[in-house]
Amino acid sequence: MLKLFLWLRYLRKRRIVFLSITAVALSVSLLMVIASGFTGFIKAYEQIAVDFVGDIVLQPPRKFPNYPVLLDRLEQLGVVEAAEATLEGQGVLYLGKGNVRAVRIQGIDLARAARVTAFKSSLLRQKDSPDEPSFGMAGEPNTATGFVGIAVVREPDEETDEYDFNAAEEMIGKQVVLTTGSVIEQKEPSSPPGETQFKRRTLQFTITDIVFTGFYQVDKNYIFLPIERLQKTLYPEQQPVAELIQIKLSLGADAESAETQIRGVWQGFVDDQLGGDRYLKEFVEIETAVEMQSQYIGEIRKQMGLLLLIIGVVSASVVVLVSCIFYMIVTTKRKDIAVIKSCGTTSASVCWIFVGFGGCVGIIGSGIGVVLGCIITENVNSIERWISIVSGLKLWKSSVYMFSRIPNEVNWFWALPIVVSAIAAAAVGALIPAIVAARTKPVEILRYE
Amino acid sequence: MYKLILATRYLLKRRITYFAVLAVALCVFIVVVVMTVMAGLVGEFKQKNHDFSGDCVVGSESLVGFPYYEDYVKKLDASELVEGVSEVIRSYGLLSLQGRDRTSGVEIMGLDPARHSRATGFGDTLYHRRDDIAQAFVPSYDANLPGCILGIDLALERDPNGEYAYDSSPRRIGFSISCFPLTARGALAGAGTALANTKTFYYSDHSHSGLARVDDSIIYLPFDEAQALCGMSGQTKRINAIHVKFKPDVPLKAGCEEARRLWSIFKAEKANENQAYLLDTVTVQDWKLYGRALIAAMEKEQLIMGVMFGFVGIVTVFIVLVVFYMLISHKSKDIGVLRSIGVSGFDIIELFSGFALMVGLAGSSLGVLGGWQFLLRINSIERWLFEHFEFQVWDRTMFAIGDIPSAISPRVLAMIVLLAIAACLIGALVPSWQAARLKPAETLQVNQL
Repeated sequence: MLKLFLWLRYLRKRRIVFLSITAVALSVSLLMVIASGFTGFIKAYEQIAVDFVGDIVLQPPRKFPNYPVLLDRLEQLGVVEAAEATLEGQGVLYLGKGNVRAVRIQGIDLARAARVTAFKSSLLRQKDSPDEPSFGMAGEPNTATGFVGIAVVREPDEETDEYDFNAAEEMIGKQVVLTTGSVIEQKEPSSPPGETQFKRRTLQFTITDIVFTGFYQVDKNYIFLPIERLQKTLYPEQQPVAELIQIKLSLGADAESAETQIRGVWQGFVDDQLGGDRYLKEFVEIETAVEMQSQYIGEIRKQMGLLLLIIGVVSASVVVLVSCIFYMIVTTKRKDIAVIKSCGTTSASVCWIFVGFGGCVGIIGSGIGVVLGCIITENVNSIERWISIVSGLKLWKSSVYMFSRIPNEVNWFWALPIVVSAIAAAAVGALIPAIVAARTKPVEILRYE
Repeated sequence: MYKLILATRYLLKRRITYFAVLAVALCVFIVVVVMTVMAGLVGEFKQKNHDFSGDCVVGSESLVGFPYYEDYVKKLDASELVEGVSEVIRSYGLLSLQGRDRTSGVEIMGLDPARHSRATGFGDTLYHRRDDIAQAFVPSYDANLPGCILGIDLALERDPNGEYAYDSSPRRIGFSISCFPLTARGALAGAGTALANTKTFYYSDHSHSGLARVDDSIIYLPFDEAQALCGMSGQTKRINAIHVKFKPDVPLKAGCEEARRLWSIFKAEKANENQAYLLDTVTVQDWKLYGRALIAAMEKEQLIMGVMFGFVGIVTVFIVLVVFYMLISHKSKDIGVLRSIGVSGFDIIELFSGFALMVGLAGSSLGVLGGWQFLLRINSIERWLFEHFEFQVWDRTMFAIGDIPSAISPRVLAMIVLLAIAACLIGALVPSWQAARLKPAETLQVNQL
């Protein structure tokens, strides 16, 4: 009770204590904002990987045929909810007068893609439609159609970094020309066996929807075509092939066990359908979407760790601040301490009063810091917009930081160690003054001079 | 004189001031290291951009380009301010390695290597033909084959140390390059399968500019070949840009003004030509404006880091404030004596401000010394960490960074030291003002002594 009384009194009477509370709050809020920002970015990056490629990706070392058989077998596994085959390529897209873009082409089965990935939610025109998404144009089933990423047709505004969705949607219905190519085996009698040649292919298609994922790399670089159309364009004289299998797992399925089962299905498929090709069996990569990004995400985590370390080291000077303030309190309150000791309070209790007060300062400061950190993190996009309006400086651009919006989810997992460290730092800072207070001799202090 | 004596005495005798000095030193140390590295990275990036584009770029964003450039180039060549001029073709194309079933979208840059090396730092980026730039497009294994120069990341792999596996001479590799020829109206030249031009070039050298976006996406072709491939070599030839280097003693602004003046004259002369409308899309930009999208992003990062450490610096202000507050509380008798012998309030403020200046100088000096020593060894420390713990600050296989920049900029250093001193002066302001307001009669009372 005495401790609580003294803590409250020092809080009310010694205004300089608020300085240490402010310092703790500032440090905690800065660390929380940094940790939340980085972890939010990592989470968004991992999520976009899952949204774009599904839970697990099966990538053989080269293209392979008969993939519908593989898809059926995979979907028979209890751990697999849906599977989709894709074909990838690169090309150059002619959009209009003088407007030519380098693009990455993905051939997809749209019905399957909607089950494996979150592709439908990124279609500007069809995302809210109750029907299954479709490449087709109404009334023209034979017309070649496709989707393009929004930044392929319209870059975001230079100043606001916002897309003009209306202008982008005006591209729907427009005919564009894609140049791509494939390597085929030479068939002339005079050619040596196995000699290959790059064959240029062009495809005119009509844009029937715009893709906006919020991830700049996809929105800027990708176009999507029906896989059958892309197969016929690239390999007109061959049976349909696929390059990648994207898999969505059933709810609650364990990824590691699923990978093992999928590998078993693949091995069986290669034995039955592809002549038991050892190269295909040994060099296939089966990994989760998150594992595919592990190198890049590892780098982001490292940068986060370094920044938190640097800021943490500087914030450790809060220990010094608390120490100085408490030392000041102890030296000015010597008579109080002497009176308390003369009433029978032990040195340990006196020490504990000040260490506990240090902890209180840490708790109050951390609490304010956490609240401040939450407010800043959750409103970071509004703050960034405000800074942009006031200063004309656009801090966050999707072309630089990949996402259209700054991740703004508070990471409570990091909040706990930050708060605990802040409280511990404040308590440690109070230690030396607490020892000085504990060593006070009432006789010397209360002597009348 | 007494101010200097007292300030020095407080600095040396009062151990509490060591805390303030250490706090300032710690903050200055961290800010010096972080800002030096950031400034080094930004400076290197800017320099690489400058080397890539030359001093000034006269060009059009449109892939159609502009015509009648020969006359303008003659004017530039004749100008006393200009040292080098290089006409350039820029477009997008599809690159395919002979015999491989992979295509990639690339940016094509058609140039004359000797002329381009006089206008930019291109010659210094070459490897095999560095000493004979005019032969850059001549493969050493067969002088009759049309050569091409690849961005280094298109040609070679990097090891974990960031080192490339150089060959003693270029390997005989053929690349098939396809791109769209465009008419002066921006429409596709040709129809059907002739919509794209394709030609095979042979690897003759690689270029290492140090810019990731350049080294992993640009292929350099002989000027005439690129002009033909992009459909710009018709009756009225077109190009996309002219890179200009001014003489060393010519200020950048003056040089660009001259280029702009010559362009206005040239444009007026060509006003009645058939394709004069294409000259309206051409701009004259210095290298900073030309690369602003990327340079601005780096400078913004630097600014954000600076602001973040500014918040951290607030903790330093608090520590100095508390230390001075404590000091002044203990020195109230001294202050009372000084006031009683006629020292004014302003002199008291000056005394403690001078003391704050000494704390700032002492702390800054320690911090700068520590930072300088750390920066001298930063790359050895990173190499040691990599050898023993496989830890690198930046993964060299992912980031286009060589050694960590460690050259301290005097400008950056001066700014940090000034800010540290300013922080100390601000921190000492309130306590100094309170000290100045102390009344001798109150402080020198018997019961206060």
